[in-house]
Amino acid sequence: MNRAHVRRIAGAASILLALMPIGAHAQSISLTDQEGREIALEKPAERIVTIPMPMASGVIAIDGSADKLVGMNPLSLTALEEGILGRIFPNALSITDAVTGTDFVPNVEALAAADPDLVIQWGGRGPEIVDPILNAGLNAMLIVYGNEDNARTYMRNVATAIGKPERYEAHEAWREEVRQEIAEVTESLGEEERPNVLYMGRSLSDITANGAANSYQNWSIALAGGRNAAAELEGNQSINREQIAQWNPDVILLNSFEPELDVSWVYDDPILSLTKAAQDKRVYKMPLGGYRWDPPSQESPLTWMWLAELLHPDLFDFDLRAEMRDAYRTLYNYELTDADIDGIIWTSFQGDGFGYDQFAAK
Amino acid sequence: MIGLNQARVRFGTRTIFENLSFSVPRGECMAILGPNGRGKTTALRSMLGFQRLDGGERQAPAIVGYVPQTASSQASYTVIDVVVMGRAASLGLFGQPGPEDFGDARAALERVGASRFAAERFDHLSGGERQLVLLARALATGSDVLVLDEPGAALDLANQQRLLGLLDGLRQARDKAIVFTTHDPNHALAIADTALLMLPDAHALKGPVHEVVTPEHLERLYGVPMRFVALSGSDGVAQRAVLPAFAGARAA
Amino acid sequence: MSAASEGQAAGQPTWRWTRSTLTFVILVALLLVSLAVSVCVGRYAVPVDRAIAIIWQSLHDPTAMPEAIDERIVWLVRVPRVILAVVCGAGLAISGAALQGVFRNPLVSPQVLGISQGAAFGGALAISAGIWGFPLLALVFVFGLSALALVGAIARIDGRTQIVTVILSGMVVGALFSAFVSLLQYFADPNSSLPAIVYWLLGSFATATWERVLIATPGIVVGLIVLWSLRFRLNVLSLDEAEAKSLGARPDLERWLIFAMVALVVGAQVAVSGIVGWIGLVIPHACRLIVGHDHRKLLPASALLGAAYLVTIDTLARTLTAAEIPLGVLTAIVGAPVFALLIRQHYREKGAG
Repeated sequence: MNRAHVRRIAGAASILLALMPIGAHAQSISLTDQEGREIALEKPAERIVTIPMPMASGVIAIDGSADKLVGMNPLSLTALEEGILGRIFPNALSITDAVTGTDFVPNVEALAAADPDLVIQWGGRGPEIVDPILNAGLNAMLIVYGNEDNARTYMRNVATAIGKPERYEAHEAWREEVRQEIAEVTESLGEEERPNVLYMGRSLSDITANGAANSYQNWSIALAGGRNAAAELEGNQSINREQIAQWNPDVILLNSFEPELDVSWVYDDPILSLTKAAQDKRVYKMPLGGYRWDPPSQESPLTWMWLAELLHPDLFDFDLRAEMRDAYRTLYNYELTDADIDGIIWTSFQGDGFGYDQFAAK
Repeated sequence: MIGLNQARVRFGTRTIFENLSFSVPRGECMAILGPNGRGKTTALRSMLGFQRLDGGERQAPAIVGYVPQTASSQASYTVIDVVVMGRAASLGLFGQPGPEDFGDARAALERVGASRFAAERFDHLSGGERQLVLLARALATGSDVLVLDEPGAALDLANQQRLLGLLDGLRQARDKAIVFTTHDPNHALAIADTALLMLPDAHALKGPVHEVVTPEHLERLYGVPMRFVALSGSDGVAQRAVLPAFAGARAA
Repeated sequence: MSAASEGQAAGQPTWRWTRSTLTFVILVALLLVSLAVSVCVGRYAVPVDRAIAIIWQSLHDPTAMPEAIDERIVWLVRVPRVILAVVCGAGLAISGAALQGVFRNPLVSPQVLGISQGAAFGGALAISAGIWGFPLLALVFVFGLSALALVGAIARIDGRTQIVTVILSGMVVGALFSAFVSLLQYFADPNSSLPAIVYWLLGSFATATWERVLIATPGIVVGLIVLWSLRFRLNVLSLDEAEAKSLGARPDLERWLIFAMVALVVGAQVAVSGIVGWIGLVIPHACRLIVGHDHRKLLPASALLGAAYLVTIDTLARTLTAAEIPLGVLTAIVGAPVFALLIRQHYREKGAG
């Protein structure tokens, strides 16, 4: 029995757990958020507003439905519209996005109108964006972002708050298992065996890249057996083409945040097209599934498998399509079609990229 | 050459002057006399077209050699650069001064006896020297009309004498119409052929200096009793001077 | 000075000519050195002789598409970037010098008059609306000019424009457009247009291409040529309005010609490289110390020094670290202390004079 099989069974088990009726309906819930604040809920949260972008799809995944979401960031809505989640949960597209500006400052009136019993907000960004929620007499749960540990903690907190901790436990088991399986292979890789990977943003005109510090992409790249070509940068910074030519990355990853950005931008650029990555057809745009695959999310294990297969096709043998189907069934109770998968992983424009044949529909 | 015809200027409800008419032909030097605030400078500005007329019209050639009382600019140009600006009108918008223009500028400096300052910075000169340079600039325009705003008003007596001497020299050449404002009737007596008195109630009186610059008129003009005294100048020629009686009455 | 006073009536004794010629030779040399260094250094190592060979070869056959990576880096990345830095630096410096002359105020710059902010708003508006290329340039230019027109309209009281009211109006209009830019930033998509706006407001030549050279250069060069042709007229316009009029100038009309040229230069510059501050303030000041106040020398000197300065700053911006340092940051870090020194120098000299 191979690992994938085990995981599938685990996935099925988590569905069963999720479907089990929860006993004490009126039970009160208390938890500590990532800023160390105590949160007490009389009953599991049923009306949730999410202000951080990735949390809208996070709440949908943790709950398995869009029913508990009553407000979100305008950019979360954009991601839903662009991605597949809007099609899986069409009712989510009519949820209000007036509760916050894109700068995360809550609109108290809209917030009050949404009547949430829990508002999820960024932690570590000062009281200005939190106090309005508390002053409105609402419960705020603060989340801290950026690395895998933080992602696991806030997902657990959300699961606890909505009274479905067991659903999260199953998810974490899957996360950890995939992580370990990849790490076991990549940990022993020497520096020279790790391809240089550049994760790039374009921001319409200028080019940005992420350094090693506090970057989830840096962590994902390392896990999947690559090296961050831009490790010397401090955080997300502007770079020029000449610097990219100097780094000469083996693989270029384009961020999934910019709708108009696709790999042809690299192949058509006079400088970037001469990098090893472009010459070897190893330029990939990060997929956009239930959420964007770049930052930590409920779909991160899929990101790792996708990336590991692209960086080391000979070392890994994941069946990405099967893994995606399982995950979507578990997370969203949705049966992915081959067309759905091609849309998520951008087969239309990067299907001919190096190593993408392994993701082709059978 | 230059003048006003039935000119009227009002500031708000206050009439500075109206029906003001005069004309200064080539070869004549006219002084505009009056106390502070009587519209001397307004008349001069109207003549030059800097002041909008509420009625009447002005008559002036396109380019007038104008000598302001003080130079406004703080910019630190050299003297020759200041004087050569007098050529601007004939050079047009995009023109650049050539050797000929610099020649004209040097000739003008020569004429006012300020050649030795040519390479110095204008803002490093004394007030008297600056006025000489501004006069040179006005001459460099090549205009037949010279208009001076209170020449010598801010100068000490020696510099006043020098400037008046220079202006008198220009007058003697009889090739220009010269107009200047002054509050000192002695300046008019010294170098003007005619005088325009800005009398109270927006009236003006123009005529030859010896007819209009009289004690009676000046008393009306300034509201101070005036006396004539006869002096002999440095060359021994008898000259007339006028003094206000507030000091002169007891001294005489 | 003794040589000058002894010299015959001549206003321009010979030693002044040689000194001024020498100054310009040095300025041209400075520009050429900065150009040479700039095309030869960068994050991608290209040997100097190779860089020169590449440029030589490309100049011979400019239409050929270079194939090798070092050829492309030098010819498609560095050369257009350096050209943009040259024309923008020259344009900004000459605009600053011209505005300071017209306003008779050494503290005036395109930024003080709100032109940059207006242009920035035009650009931010274009980015928010997803407009690029020539239409973006047009929006930048139109708003730069409207900001200036607005300043002119506010400052013109009873048909007269006073320096103080112009500066104050410039501050008001600049603040207004800055607020509009903030508003656009507030509504911008943080994933795409917001970083583009922010980055663009800080100024950079990182996105220089030959296409952008073609977009920006004509406008800036026209502005440069017209302003340079007005160098003697600027001396006249720097005088009090009455004096300028008496010397045959039409100050109001001619000022607007100069403003329009400045807006053209700044608009084109902002369109391709965002807001680059300080150049128009610091460079003319430095040049006044070197060549004096006469605009006939000040304008060309400013253009040369401005070009050399911006090329140098841009070279630092792209080579110091792996990340691009925003130009606005560097010009301010270098410009502010230099400006402080210049002010002290200027007023010490004035006090002594």
